[in-house]
Amino acid sequence: MMGYAAIQVLNALSFSALLLLTGLGLSVVLSLMNFVNLAHGSFYLLGSYIAVHWLASGAPWWMAFPVAFLATALAGALLERFPLRAFYARPHLMQVLLTYGLSVIFADLMRWGFGAQILSPELPEMLQGVVFLFDMPFPLYRLFIIGAGFAMALALWLLFDRTMWGAVVRAAVSDRGIVETLGIDTRRLFAAVFMLSAGLGGLSGALGAGMLAAYPGLDEEVLILALITVVVGGLGSFGGTVLSALVVGFALTFSKVWFPEFANLAAFSAMIALLLARPNGLVAPPLRQL
Amino acid sequence: MPKHCQNDIRPGASLGRRGLLAGAAALGLARPAIAQAQPLRIGMVTSLSGPFTALGESMRAGMQLLLAQSGQAIAGRRVEFLVEDDQARPEEGVRKARKLIGQDRVDLLCGVISSGVALALRDVVTEARMPTFLLGSANDLARKAASPFILRPTKTNWMLGDTAARWTYEKVSKSKVLTVGSDYAAGREYIGDFAEGYRRLGGGIGRQLWTPLGSADFGPLLTTIASERPEVVYGFFAGSDAVRFLRQWKEYRLAGRVPLVGTGAFFDQEDVLPAVGDAALGAVNTFHQSPTAPASAAFIEAYRATGKPLPGEFSTTGYVCGQVIKAALERSNGDLADWEKTRAGLFAAPVETAFGPMPFDPRNGQAILDIHVNEVKRGEDGRMVNTVLHTYRQVRDPGIPA
Repeated sequence: MMGYAAIQVLNALSFSALLLLTGLGLSVVLSLMNFVNLAHGSFYLLGSYIAVHWLASGAPWWMAFPVAFLATALAGALLERFPLRAFYARPHLMQVLLTYGLSVIFADLMRWGFGAQILSPELPEMLQGVVFLFDMPFPLYRLFIIGAGFAMALALWLLFDRTMWGAVVRAAVSDRGIVETLGIDTRRLFAAVFMLSAGLGGLSGALGAGMLAAYPGLDEEVLILALITVVVGGLGSFGGTVLSALVVGFALTFSKVWFPEFANLAAFSAMIALLLARPNGLVAPPLRQL
Repeated sequence: MPKHCQNDIRPGASLGRRGLLAGAAALGLARPAIAQAQPLRIGMVTSLSGPFTALGESMRAGMQLLLAQSGQAIAGRRVEFLVEDDQARPEEGVRKARKLIGQDRVDLLCGVISSGVALALRDVVTEARMPTFLLGSANDLARKAASPFILRPTKTNWMLGDTAARWTYEKVSKSKVLTVGSDYAAGREYIGDFAEGYRRLGGGIGRQLWTPLGSADFGPLLTTIASERPEVVYGFFAGSDAVRFLRQWKEYRLAGRVPLVGTGAFFDQEDVLPAVGDAALGAVNTFHQSPTAPASAAFIEAYRATGKPLPGEFSTTGYVCGQVIKAALERSNGDLADWEKTRAGLFAAPVETAFGPMPFDPRNGQAILDIHVNEVKRGEDGRMVNTVLHTYRQVRDPGIPA
C-alpha cells in the first residue's frame, strides 16, 4: 500500500512537471508582455517532432533538447518580427484571433511536413529503466521529466527575479517609455522574451514527447492544458504557475486513481470551484497600475 | 473550397493537402468528352482532418490503389472518384454527403470511419435512395440502423469483442479478467460485447476501468492495474490513446508480466504498432485484418509498392470496399439503376476480397467475415507484425434478434 501511494504521488508529480514545462513558456509571454499567444501549442508540437527525428538519427541523444529549444526559439524570433510585433499594443481579442489563425496554419504545415501518423521517440537506454519503490516500478524517464520541469522553473525564476536583465524586462513591462529613456532598446528586449517563450515551448515538447507522443491535434490538447495551468495559477503570476501546475497535476492524477470514469469531470469541477473562490487565480499578481 | 481528388495515386499522395489541391486544379480543366458509357462517380466521405486523419488518408489510399489497378474504370465505365472530409463530425459528414448526392450527383457513396458519422448518414442515404457502402463499425449499423440501401463490407464491433471473449476463455484465462477502455461509443461496445461473451461462457470479469477519450497520462491507471494483479487484461483504445497506453504499459513493466488481449484497432498495423516499438510484443488481438492473412498477400505487395508501410485496418478496408463496389457493378453489367437487382447479385455469391471470401447477410447487408486471432510478433526485419494464430471462420453478426 505504501508503494502504491508513493508511485501515485510520483505519477502526479511527473504530470505536474509536464504542465509546468508547457505552462511556463505561455506564462512568460502572458505575464511579462501581456500578450496572448494561442500558437504556443504549435511550438510544443514542433519541439516534439524535432526530438523524435533527432533521437531516431543516432546523434547524441541529450542534444535533442537544446536543438529543440534553439530551433523553436528561431521560429519564434521570425514570427515575432512578423506579424506578432505589430500586435503587442492591440487588444487581447485581436491577439487571440491572430495567434489562433497562425496555430491553424502551423498545424497544416506540420501535418504536411511530418505526416499524420503518430510518432514516438526512441528513448536512450539509460532513460528506459525503472526504479522500484516498495516493489512497485516507476519509469526513470518520468523522474527525468520531474527533474527537468522543476530545474527549469528554478532557472526562470532566477533569470527574471535575480538578474539585472530580468529587472529590466519587468521594468519595461510596467513602463516601456521610462525604460527607453534609459537608452535600452525595448523592442529587442521583447523579442528576446518571446524567443525564450517559444524555445521553452519547444523544449517542453521535446521532453514531453516520451510521455505524450507526437501527432496532429496534440498542439491543441497541450495548449488547453497550458491555459488551464496559467489561468488557475493567476494571470501574470510566475509563482502561481508553479503552484497551479502542482494543483492541476495532482487533481487530474488522483481523480484518475479514485474515480477513473469521471476523471475529467472531477478534476475540472475542482478547478471551477477553485476559480469561483479565487477569481484571480491562486496567486493574484499585485496591481501595478497608477 | 471543394476537395476533389481525382484518381490521384502517385507515391506521396498521402501528403494530403497537396494532393487535394492538385486534384482541385485538375477538376477545373475542361475534360474532353469520351465516347463511352457515362462515367461512374464514386463519392467517399472520410476523415481528412480531426482525430482520424491518418486513418482517413489510409482509407483513401486503399481505394485509390484499387482504382489504379483497375485502370480507373469499373465494368467498362470510367471512374470519377470524389473525396470529402467529414472531420469526424456527424453534422459535417451529413453536409458533405448531401453535397456529394445533390450537387456532384454521385452514383454511389462509400467511406466513413467514425461510427457517429455513419449513424448520422444512415437516414440521409436511405431517404435519398443512394447506394452506400458504409464502413463504420457500430453494432447498430447491422441491427436497428440497417437499411436496404446500405451494404457493409467491414466488421461490426461485436464480431471482434465476442471472438476475443472466446479466445480469452479458451486459451488465456477463465477468471479474473480486468477490462480497461476508452469511454466512448466504440469502447463501450468492444468492452461490453467482450464481457457479455466471456460471462456467457462462464468466465469471471474482475474490475472494469474506463478512461475519457484522449487521456494524456495512463500512469495512474497502470499503477492501479498493477496493484489489482489481474490474470489477464482486456482492453480497447484507438489512435494516440493506444500508443500512449502501450508505451506506458511497457514503462510500468506490465509488458511480458500480464497477458494483454484487445481488439484490432488497439494494435493497428499501420496506425499504432510502428509508434510503440516492442511494447506490444506478445499481445493478442482479434481482427478481420492481418498482414499475415493469406487473402491479403497480393494487396499488401501492391500497397507497399506505392511506398507505404505494412497496411493496417483502414487501408485494407478502403481497398476491400473498392473490390466489393467493383464486384457489385460487374455482376450487374455496370448498371446501378436497379439497386434491388444489384444487391441480389452481390448476395448471390461471396466476393473475393483482401479480407478473404466475403458473403453478405441478406437480412442486413452486413459482411460475414473471417476473424483472425493475431499475436504481435517480431518479424524478420525486426518490425512488429500482427501474426495470425487462429482464424474464426465466417463470423456473422447476430443482427436484430428475431
